[in-house]
Amino acid sequence: MFNRVVPFVLVPLIGINAGVSANELNPDVSVTLDGYYKQNDTALSHREEGFGLGHTELSLSSPIDDLFSGRLTTVYEEHDGESDILVEEAYLQTNGLPAGLGVRAGRFLSQVGYLNGRHMHEDDFVERPAVYRALLGSHYYDTGVRLNAVLPTPFFWQVGAEAFSGDQLSEGDEDIGAYTLNTRVGGDLSVSQSWQAGLSWLHNRQVSAEHGEGEHEHEEEGGHDHSHGVSYTGENLYIADLVWKWSPNGNTREQQITLSGEYLYADDLNEFATSDDFHEGWYVSGVYQFAPQWSAGVRYGEVDLRKAHGDHFHSQSLEETDVMLSWSHSHFSTVRLQYTHQEATGFSEADNTVMVQYVMSLGAHGAHGY
Amino acid sequence: MGTDMGLRHAFVALLLVLAALPAQAQLRVFACEPEWAALVRDLAPDAQVTTATSYLQDPHYIEARPSLIAAMRRADIAVCTGASLEAGWLPTLLQRASNPDIQSGRPGLFFAAAHAQLHAPHDHVDRSMGDVHPEGNPHVHLAPDQLPEIARALAERLGAIEPEAAAAIQGRYIRWRSSWNRLRTEWRDKAEAIEGQSVVVQHSSFNYLLRWLGVEAAADLEPKPGLPPSASHLSRLLAEPGLGEASAILIASHQDPQPAEWLAEQTGLPVVVVPGTVTDEAPIETLGGLISEIIRQIESAVSGASNGGL
Repeated sequence: MFNRVVPFVLVPLIGINAGVSANELNPDVSVTLDGYYKQNDTALSHREEGFGLGHTELSLSSPIDDLFSGRLTTVYEEHDGESDILVEEAYLQTNGLPAGLGVRAGRFLSQVGYLNGRHMHEDDFVERPAVYRALLGSHYYDTGVRLNAVLPTPFFWQVGAEAFSGDQLSEGDEDIGAYTLNTRVGGDLSVSQSWQAGLSWLHNRQVSAEHGEGEHEHEEEGGHDHSHGVSYTGENLYIADLVWKWSPNGNTREQQITLSGEYLYADDLNEFATSDDFHEGWYVSGVYQFAPQWSAGVRYGEVDLRKAHGDHFHSQSLEETDVMLSWSHSHFSTVRLQYTHQEATGFSEADNTVMVQYVMSLGAHGAHGY
Repeated sequence: MGTDMGLRHAFVALLLVLAALPAQAQLRVFACEPEWAALVRDLAPDAQVTTATSYLQDPHYIEARPSLIAAMRRADIAVCTGASLEAGWLPTLLQRASNPDIQSGRPGLFFAAAHAQLHAPHDHVDRSMGDVHPEGNPHVHLAPDQLPEIARALAERLGAIEPEAAAAIQGRYIRWRSSWNRLRTEWRDKAEAIEGQSVVVQHSSFNYLLRWLGVEAAADLEPKPGLPPSASHLSRLLAEPGLGEASAILIASHQDPQPAEWLAEQTGLPVVVVPGTVTDEAPIETLGGLISEIIRQIESAVSGASNGGL
């Protein structure tokens, strides 16, 4: 009797073991579902009114061997009824080169600013601040290479440089169209408080090479730019960012306050630009996670832009206030209600709107940054 | 021009200060949780230890803060629990710190769970089950029978990282081991008084110890592992038949006491709040002291409850 039963018991056990070991060699798969309902169209927005899909991602990541790991992220997007599948990340990353050096190569999110290097599904608001949507296309990613060094200081200090093709910023013939330099410092003020500050410079070499002649288009006054490309560029973009976080005894599970702010300034807009022609914008955001599953937040931001029309510029400006409430049943599901108020000059589509959004993550869930 | 020169001087001075800093030859340890910092201090008292979390924090939900990246960058070894406990923050720290010594698969990354037999491993895990670790319950630092093997492996690893101190570390391990065995006998004696009792828990933080003591976990305040207690789940618990037999509600210091207090009001059970891990204060600054204290608190709550009940 015993002899007859044992083989049948063993078969599933062996099967399970084989399954587990094969699974461990597979890359981690993660899917982010992002859907929303938006009451009205708004200026500089990448989300149209009505029901829509936002940043729906499929991501594969895995260690490659003991030195490299890799990640592929594709994004599904819909604009004007047309759907696109974009490769947002396809990179290799070194693990622990000597001297705190790290190299990333391929396509990836630039590390300029605070928000840009983060994945959109980690954001606290439905959309990035207006200045990010205008100057970085919400998030600037490109194909190139990055070198970072974490210095052996008692506080956190990182310096980094990136070189990109630049084609995601502006069209041009340069092989290396964009460079970035970035430095970040940070630390703890006490058990409850931590901070980080950063300075970044994005040098777009293709702006000066670009000739404005063919782009004399007046018809799209206050343009509602549907592409995720960058709609306003300058040869130099400078970003300063500051983040401060507080939670009682550092226990972020129960409560946390996050204050963050960034200032962006872009100049040398094109060959016709004078010293008075520059883009400028900033935002400050405060988010209070008052219970493990609940957060409320307010964000205010402004952006002043100079839209190129051949040899002259038109001024545009936008002030935006967002108020949001979000509920996360678990670490993997979030539903958000947001009200956005816009006041604008030079944008015809500025409006107030209510939005409801969900962000759900399926499968592997990568560790989050600060 | 003047400010330029001033800046340059300040920069040179800063560089000199920085160059002077890494001159210490001390063993630098990054401990993910305080229990491993305590164990390291027992084995290598001279080590400079940075602890990423405290007993007031939930170790599942730590942020990869700048200060932790900097500490990881400077460390010789990281001592963590593993079994996905730190899955939400350790991978980011490892990547951002880019410390060549501390990467998965290298000797500088020590996982305690790799040297323990974990309870409740799962062949099948999906998220509808809550935050379940497929490897098993990672809160292994309160398992009296598992700690000696973890300490042995840690002593061996610390010795390999710092060969000149290996013999001294081994000697301290042997002393630690005999004092642990003595404590374990004391706990065994105390366990007799509380064996067969049951308590209400929140999360599986104390399960290894409860199981060792023969104390049953009658109910869990969490509806699913990792989800905070909800009102509907708590009212469902009231109807649970096992609740009548329970003699206390046991929660950790980093957990919100409100759900436990609510249930205590409804049932009259005492709430026992104990640190989930070691603290800075004697006698619970060591793992042995911590386990003694948890047993003492359970014992007094259980005897108090039965006295009150009679």
